[in-house]
Amino acid sequence: MYQPVRGSRFLVALGVVGWVVGAACSGSKSSPQGGGGISSSLTDLMKARNLSEADVNAALKTYTPTGRMDEYLVFASGGHSGQVIVIGVPSMRILKYIAVFTPEPWQGYGFDDATKSVLAEGKRFGKDLTWADTHHPALSETGGDYDGQYLFIGDKANARIAVIDLKDFETKQIVTTELIGGDHGAAFVTPNTDYIIETTQYPVPLGGVYADPAKEFKEKFRGAGVFWKFDRAKGRIDKDNSFVVEFPPYTQDLSDAGKLVSDGYAFFNSINTEMAWGGDQEGNPPMEAGYSKNDMDYLHVVNWRKAEELIKAGKFETINGMKVIRLATAATEKVLTFVPEPKSPHGADVTPDGEDIVVGGKLDTHTTVYNFKKIKDQIDAGKFETKDPYGVPVLSFKDSIRGQVDVGLGPLHTQFDDKGNAYTSLFLETVVAKWNYKDLKLIEKIPTHYNIGHLVAAEGDTIHPDGKYLIAMNKWALDRFNKVGPLLPQNFQLIDINTPKMQLLYDMPIPLGEPHYAQMIKADKLKPLDVYPPGEDPITGKKSPEAVEANKERIERKGDGVHVYMTAIRSHFTPDIIRVKQGETVHLHIDNLEQAYDATHGFAIDSYNINISIEPGEHNDITFVADRAGVFPLYCTEFCSALHLEMAGYLLVEPKS
Amino acid sequence: MQSVIPTLALTLTLAGAACGEARVKADGGPPPTRTERPAHCDELGPSDALQTALDAPQTAAVCLRPGRYAGPLQLRRAVTLWGPSAAVVHAERAGSTIELSAPGATLLGITIDGRGGRFDQADAAVHVTASETRVEGVTVIHAVFGILVDQAAHVQITRNHIHGGRDAGVGLRGDTIRLWETRDSSVSDNVTEDGRDIAVWYSSGNRISGNRVLRGRYGFHLMYSHDNHIIGNQLLDGVVGVFVMYSRGVTIEDNLIANAAGAAGMAIGLKESGNLVVRGNRLLHDTTGIYIDASPLNLGDTVLVTHNQLRLNDRALVFHSSGHRVRVTDNDFADNMTQIEIDGGGDALDMAWRGNYFDDYAGYDLDDDQVGDVPYEARSLSSELTSSHPGLALFSGTPALALVDAAAHLDPMYVPKPLLSDPAPRMSPVWSTDTEARP
Repeated sequence: MYQPVRGSRFLVALGVVGWVVGAACSGSKSSPQGGGGISSSLTDLMKARNLSEADVNAALKTYTPTGRMDEYLVFASGGHSGQVIVIGVPSMRILKYIAVFTPEPWQGYGFDDATKSVLAEGKRFGKDLTWADTHHPALSETGGDYDGQYLFIGDKANARIAVIDLKDFETKQIVTTELIGGDHGAAFVTPNTDYIIETTQYPVPLGGVYADPAKEFKEKFRGAGVFWKFDRAKGRIDKDNSFVVEFPPYTQDLSDAGKLVSDGYAFFNSINTEMAWGGDQEGNPPMEAGYSKNDMDYLHVVNWRKAEELIKAGKFETINGMKVIRLATAATEKVLTFVPEPKSPHGADVTPDGEDIVVGGKLDTHTTVYNFKKIKDQIDAGKFETKDPYGVPVLSFKDSIRGQVDVGLGPLHTQFDDKGNAYTSLFLETVVAKWNYKDLKLIEKIPTHYNIGHLVAAEGDTIHPDGKYLIAMNKWALDRFNKVGPLLPQNFQLIDINTPKMQLLYDMPIPLGEPHYAQMIKADKLKPLDVYPPGEDPITGKKSPEAVEANKERIERKGDGVHVYMTAIRSHFTPDIIRVKQGETVHLHIDNLEQAYDATHGFAIDSYNINISIEPGEHNDITFVADRAGVFPLYCTEFCSALHLEMAGYLLVEPKS
Repeated sequence: MQSVIPTLALTLTLAGAACGEARVKADGGPPPTRTERPAHCDELGPSDALQTALDAPQTAAVCLRPGRYAGPLQLRRAVTLWGPSAAVVHAERAGSTIELSAPGATLLGITIDGRGGRFDQADAAVHVTASETRVEGVTVIHAVFGILVDQAAHVQITRNHIHGGRDAGVGLRGDTIRLWETRDSSVSDNVTEDGRDIAVWYSSGNRISGNRVLRGRYGFHLMYSHDNHIIGNQLLDGVVGVFVMYSRGVTIEDNLIANAAGAAGMAIGLKESGNLVVRGNRLLHDTTGIYIDASPLNLGDTVLVTHNQLRLNDRALVFHSSGHRVRVTDNDFADNMTQIEIDGGGDALDMAWRGNYFDDYAGYDLDDDQVGDVPYEARSLSSELTSSHPGLALFSGTPALALVDAAAHLDPMYVPKPLLSDPAPRMSPVWSTDTEARP
């Protein structure tokens, strides 16, 4: 505690301050001043901006000069935006919003024929969905490590999974099953990306049918673990070879796939063995009270390799086009086993060695470390403590855990480093706790602001975590940023974990949706394209049959309407005049002939809601009906050259009569 | 005002004070006094049909003779079940042992052996599901869960003694007492040992007083529970004393909370709550004395921290970030490793500080009015230094830190950041450590 102390100059000779600043500012070539090696200009800057030496130290660890690249890329869910945010670390520069479930004008996503068809894959019950609640991204893995090829992400609101190809950072496929209503434990991949796991959150009657929870909740409402088969050669999910394991209506939550010794298994926590379903105006407790009354919920242990065998053996039912291993079969065949877990659990994170599963508890003071071998030994021996009301065997809690760690209040999610340490977000304390998952000892904590949810460390959920950076993904920002009205951004806080003591480096507001999970991959694992090969349709990954080459631009009338074969190259559209008659269907085929990096063109037509992005080499198709007569300017929406404004033309729609 | 903390077998050892060695010691104290036998009751023994007697419309009260009785039992009408502590009802099988499910049901004096209950099914020694009920003077041994009260009002849980067990880690034990959607009830003068939590969830208007909670996890954990009074309790050797979250109108007064140790150790935690009064508590030898996170949350709400004694803590008062609408008055801050910590680069300047005693106050009192003539001002860069240079953490709270701060003081670049200012610091403590009483 500081009290003003008048001392003599000799105190400075202790060198403490000089050492600190010197460490933070090594490399300064300016002459030393009174600050123990700080240049006067730097000293002045620090004073003017009220920066401490710790601030300067953090700045030096994050500042990335122009032209320098980041060491890691983060793929963060975009929450309500239905997108994925790509962020560089340590600079925390936003590099891209990848359009996934939501139309996005800059990328022209949802405006051309191909991306419209991708979004249409995500229709449910015939309804267009123009938003999503993206929660958990999952990078494709080979041997339990990120391979930098694909990214998957789940939409909690509408039970959908999207496939993003990291060759061009674009969404290629959306899949959904109307078997379930919403998900949460999605997406998580098995160690070689054989399957992408999607787990329900709120139980519903399977197949999108009606049932009254007041009368039939226990009988008809169900959860499910969906195992989407990934065809890596095609880069697409193979719905026909995917399957579902039916769960009781316990409100499954988060998931993780086993790895190494636990490969072949997947783990899901659950939060509602009470089977509460709300009804606060119908004589029931409110949902949140009903959910948290029991003292234990169930960690679901799924043997997915065994499930594969059951599918091959035909032990499934087909519901809404999905192969479903029914609950009774899953229970009797030991595909599904339960282990009790402390009340209000959250997170189910497999350790890098695959030996343990760490589960937090939103109101607990401990993380619980389950041991896979202990669990498997009991399953193999048929040593069950009891069965749940649906006949699913329940193991002994005490015989399944390796221990509990007194980490602090409200542990949620856990990531790992390369030194045997785990990092757990503590919601109630709003800190990150660092602990050793081998000896189960707490090491240190660092405050975050505010209400931390997930956290992400560099490759921190793989079998080879890097142990460098960590981002606390905070739900509230409160007083961290300038005021912008009642709706505040989220706050990502970058923390250096490659130091003896964790150090907060940077606060980054996230002002478009509420991110949930993120993954951080070494940047050099990613090998994206610079330009598309000429004429490529990004969705098919092949040259389009309608690709347009230079000097072959034309307008043709065919049985299905007017086909406009157009090219774009700085600074001209060819043709730049499109003449059609009112009521004709127009098929625009546009190729960007550029093969230069970053030479993107846009294409927009006044009042027809047409706006696409045409990256170098890319082919696009747009179909529309010219139902409004008149003169409509068209132009390039990317500032592509000095003559960008001149890159324009007209759509001339001649009146019918 | 005189403290209402009752005298107990408590020893405060000050050897090595401020070096983390001092410790408040306490045993379970004397057993609760015997519970009065009803004047008129049907006396039964272990071989009698106990449940039948309890269900008989003409039975007003049943008195048990010493002996072992098999549970479960149900008090499903307005009937009293009394027994001496030597009358032991045991769980026999999974499920709660005794249920009070009708208004007027009263359970007095007996012992319940909870062995056999299942932790994952929240099997309780006593399960109260009706209003206007009373559980008094009951001893619970080997409790999985102790006394659970569900969706009731006007319930009295009084002078019970609940023993959990040390076989399992604290996270694997059950709650000793739980109020769930329970209002206008009292939990008073109970002793709990080696259990997990006393949970008060979705429960408002309750009075929790005079309890002694030993070696638990959360002494009292309040969630969405408003207008509760937590008064005159002793919480020793637990992980957290009182944790209040998402609640308003809670008074925490005259409690003794000591030895809340370990990484999560915390005497009082306030999260996103408001209109709170923290008054007259003795918070001794805890990892953290008082932790305030975004409280008060609602505009217009307040938090008052007054007349508390914060001694021998690693961190006496911690704000997760800058505090607002908090008044800190007439408290003692003494023998703590760190008096005030404010995380997130915040400060406590937008708060009302007055009349606190700080044992590191270096001011003077020339007019001898017992109030320091210059403000107590806390400024520090130590947290910033130690965050990036852990070696400096060794200076924390020791005189050497003054050297660091002084060095900073001499160089304008390192002007320490003001944290708080108390314009009228006390020259002597509010509390007398000799009498354990405050004025």
